[in-house]
Amino acid sequence: MSDTALATEHKQCFQLKTSFSPCTILQLTRYDLDELTQQLSAAINKAPNFFIGSPVIIDLDGIKHLGELDFARIKRILIDHNLVPMGVRGGSDEQNQAAVDLGIPKVAAGKAKPVAQEVTDEAPVVQEVISAEPQKLQKAAYSAKLITTPIRSGMQVYAKDTDLIVNAPVSAGAELMADGNIHVYGPLRGRALAGVQGDTQARIFCRTLEAELVAIAGYYLVKEEIQALSLKDAAVQIYLEKEQVKIAKI
Amino acid sequence: MTKIIVVTSGKGGVGKTTTSASFAVGLANRGFKTAVIDFDIGLRNLDLIMGCERRVVYDFVNVIRGEANLNQALIRDKHNKELYILPASQTRDKDALTLEGVGTVLDELRKTFDYIVCDSPAGIERGAQLAMYYADSAIVVTNPEVSSVRDSDRMLGLLSSKTKRAEEGNGKITEHLLLTRYSPKRVSKGEMLSLEDVNEILAIPLLGVIPESPAVLKASNSGVPVIVDSESDAGQAYADAVARYLGEEVPLRFLEEKSNWLKRIFSFKEKEVV
Repeated sequence: MSDTALATEHKQCFQLKTSFSPCTILQLTRYDLDELTQQLSAAINKAPNFFIGSPVIIDLDGIKHLGELDFARIKRILIDHNLVPMGVRGGSDEQNQAAVDLGIPKVAAGKAKPVAQEVTDEAPVVQEVISAEPQKLQKAAYSAKLITTPIRSGMQVYAKDTDLIVNAPVSAGAELMADGNIHVYGPLRGRALAGVQGDTQARIFCRTLEAELVAIAGYYLVKEEIQALSLKDAAVQIYLEKEQVKIAKI
Repeated sequence: MTKIIVVTSGKGGVGKTTTSASFAVGLANRGFKTAVIDFDIGLRNLDLIMGCERRVVYDFVNVIRGEANLNQALIRDKHNKELYILPASQTRDKDALTLEGVGTVLDELRKTFDYIVCDSPAGIERGAQLAMYYADSAIVVTNPEVSSVRDSDRMLGLLSSKTKRAEEGNGKITEHLLLTRYSPKRVSKGEMLSLEDVNEILAIPLLGVIPESPAVLKASNSGVPVIVDSESDAGQAYADAVARYLGEEVPLRFLEEKSNWLKRIFSFKEKEVV
């Protein structure tokens, strides 16, 4: 019996789905757990509802030179503040292992940005709380991803955490994705999805719009709807307004 | 330096084998020592088009498996002593080819040949990917219709990512578009994409336009590559394409309706009479 026959007889007991949930990054810039407790309480008191049950990734990049850390206590501090420690990132191998031993896995999600940070004594322990909430999306720290060769049918290009600039044709059946804006200077005949992590401010700019689909933060228009707007041969921008995708001449 | 040329398309039935055969003959006629390899394992066709099907003893798969050496498997063309054919196996499938095996055979051929033409199977699976992997240049054969153009587009994407040159960052494969089965009459009626339409979508250098011609089928059936029929429009168009591949400047032909041309003469005569 073939595999496909088996699959149809027994109903699948799970489905794998990709989703983007907001997650808070706790960047530790100085290792002082008493102060961490105090400052975290103060930060959370400002917006208690926002943080309750929020998953947290502990970013150790700023203190990875310190060696051993008391993860048991860090974990307890977070839980006491109704935060859910999900994982660590950016630490040394030794720190990562210590965290893993306590049931906090090392995660690769949302890589730390290579921004030089000066750590001074005056710097607060909780330096920055980034949230992936659409309204509070952090702006791209990298320069835009630039593509100068044609993007052919079946190819996919994803500009993570940044804008995508394509200075070549995008064929039907190709797919562009960016966390930020998308600019296309050749004819756009494939699909273009801007703000794929939920940035509703993202836009698509193109000179020749013949796309199969355009989407901003998950809101999309298909080819028929794009053609109905009859904007062929005009440079356009595509943006989101009140949860509706709009196309306007530039 | 030996050049490996892959003739590919994605879609089936567009003229890959016809092109491989004619191109190989064209290169050999110019005095280059040329080998043409059939990568379509299990659906062997090149030997029929080249008219050497009765002389196939060993094939490509035998060589890869070490069951025969290359000289035993290579078939010398009847008409041109510079041209050799390496036939596909009819009894195996495409899994019989391995990346290393193909590489070894091509390296061996490199020692004696100027050009190696690889006739790719249709599709984007293993056979097609192996045919293109070691290529230095690619001839993308396309018919003037949307599905063929889209498949060629997909193929161009693979050529820029799934080849040895792309993987090693060793310069891009040179891409050439060959538009086949072009019928100016049907283009003017709007039944077929025009050369401009195809060019706009694929945007790669044009090697030639082969007109739809009864000579192609006749040539296939008689086992003589159409380029040998130098009287035919398709044969001449292939010769032009080979010349362009070798860097010569040859103007495009066969883009206008034949009847138009005749009509023009007749209308001229009519005017004279009046």
